[in-house]
Amino acid sequence: MRSSGYKRFVWWLVASVAVMCVPFLTDNGFMLKILAKDVGTNALVVLGLALLFGYGGQVSLGHAAFIGIGAYTSALVTMRFELPWLAGVAAAALVSAAGGALLALPSLRLRGHYLAMATLGFGEIMHIVFREATPLTGGFDGLRGIPSVAIGGFVFKSPESIYWLVWGIVLVALLLAYNVVALRPGRAMRALHGSELGSQACGVDTVRVKVQVFVVSAALAGIAGSLYAHVARFISPEIFTLHRSVILLSMAVLGGTSSLAGPIVAAVGLSILKYVDSFVPGMPDAASTFLQDWELDIYGLTIIVVMLFAPGGIGGAFRSLRQRFRKKAAPDPEGEGVSAA
Amino acid sequence: MTEAREMLRVEKVSSGYGHVGVLEGVSIHVMHGEVVTLIGSNGAGKSTLLKTVAGVLSPTGGSVVFDGRDISGITPEKAVEAGLALVPEGRRLFGSMSVGENLELGAYARRRSRSFSSEFAEDLEIVHELFPVLGERVDQSAATLSGGEQQMLAIARALMSRPRLLLLDEPSLGLAPKVISEIFAILDRLRSRGVTILLVEQDASVALRHADRGYVLRTGRVELEGTASELLANDDVRMIYLGSWKKSVSGT
Repeated sequence: MRSSGYKRFVWWLVASVAVMCVPFLTDNGFMLKILAKDVGTNALVVLGLALLFGYGGQVSLGHAAFIGIGAYTSALVTMRFELPWLAGVAAAALVSAAGGALLALPSLRLRGHYLAMATLGFGEIMHIVFREATPLTGGFDGLRGIPSVAIGGFVFKSPESIYWLVWGIVLVALLLAYNVVALRPGRAMRALHGSELGSQACGVDTVRVKVQVFVVSAALAGIAGSLYAHVARFISPEIFTLHRSVILLSMAVLGGTSSLAGPIVAAVGLSILKYVDSFVPGMPDAASTFLQDWELDIYGLTIIVVMLFAPGGIGGAFRSLRQRFRKKAAPDPEGEGVSAA
Repeated sequence: MTEAREMLRVEKVSSGYGHVGVLEGVSIHVMHGEVVTLIGSNGAGKSTLLKTVAGVLSPTGGSVVFDGRDISGITPEKAVEAGLALVPEGRRLFGSMSVGENLELGAYARRRSRSFSSEFAEDLEIVHELFPVLGERVDQSAATLSGGEQQMLAIARALMSRPRLLLLDEPSLGLAPKVISEIFAILDRLRSRGVTILLVEQDASVALRHADRGYVLRTGRVELEGTASELLANDDVRMIYLGSWKKSVSGT
């Protein structure tokens, strides 16, 4: 256990260095900003969804609403009350987490897939709130002139600094998530991941664990929302739609249930699709237009293909590649419980 | 003294999954120190009854009384705290975790008790004495154990919660006859230590030979009850459940 945790830490370190070096490889500020504002914030939300899906066995169709709550909260705290960004992001995480708890507590007490339905309804309700609560949210027009992220005296203005900030937060969140899952406090979560009935039989309060995971995922979305708001400096209701929630969920599913890095890779891959023309310089217009026009269909198709041929998602594919590479016939230890049937 | 005390009384319980009712007014009881078995064919409601007692399912009618306390509709974690331990059908171990970690999770409900660490060490010793093979494989992941060893681990994990009533769901499932008799030999040892057991088993013959009393469940009702020897001698039981038991062993 300890050695595999150590190995994972080394991998995390290598990946982190690689991710943090990206700004040295390019001077395309537009691209770096997209990698931070859109790709990085998606990755942060998808990390939370992956915890929720992989360890809580739950799906959310409303996480765009938590991003929105975080974005508006943070914008209001910094604009109306003129508090620093750190206060904004803390408020964003807290308000989103509280919203998550309010939603998860009643729906998870019920047996069945009520949470998914509740999140769907919640997402739609919040979308309307963002649109109609004009005095707070600016209505359709949204909020403009949100201050840039600033910590102490330092203002994150350059694309590089923004990139490092966002991805630094994503990587730290990933490391924290690994630790929660791997160490003692996360054993109830791992038990739930292994077998729900088994963990109930051990006296694990599965409802509580699920609520906790949901609250954490909502808080991560809130933080992502704050980052987005202060990097884009403009938010409007159309950014926080059901469409966005579904795309985020599909990234988590594509990433796989047995891994946390997998969903982040999926989030990066699928988020880039929309901006493919600026990332692949030599790409003919026709090809990039095709990819952009068919973006949603490509998501859908990818998920179908993954479900059919690699149900473990990207994480699962990594795992089996590694096993094949080692030629070790160890059984997949992440299968749903160990059962005789 | 305690021998004659009633430990569990299930009174006219109805239960099922969502709106699909499985049990229709089932009444059973278990006395202190008894091994009671529920037999019956697939879909008779045996597992549903165990899950309802363990709090995994909520009864839609009737009551479950454990040690004089009404625990109908209790949550599973409260049931474990109250002294009920379920060994679920299909074992439901934590495959990616080691044998040791599985046992540790078995004691999860008692983690806040003051004397936990000393009790835990004691229980671990008892479990290793009952299942020496688990002691040899503490660091091995549960997924790599054989079927029989997994069943032993599932029982051991349940014992780690210091249950007063052990709820065993189909311990013979998917096991070879030789392994089944090993498992039941262990149940006999538990019984001689005074552990009270409610056992669900498709293999009626084995179950009745290791139990004090039994209930025959059929389509959600108690069809027959009696001492194990009465049931073993009953013509209907012999014909329906014992005559065909060899065939039903391989099914789930």
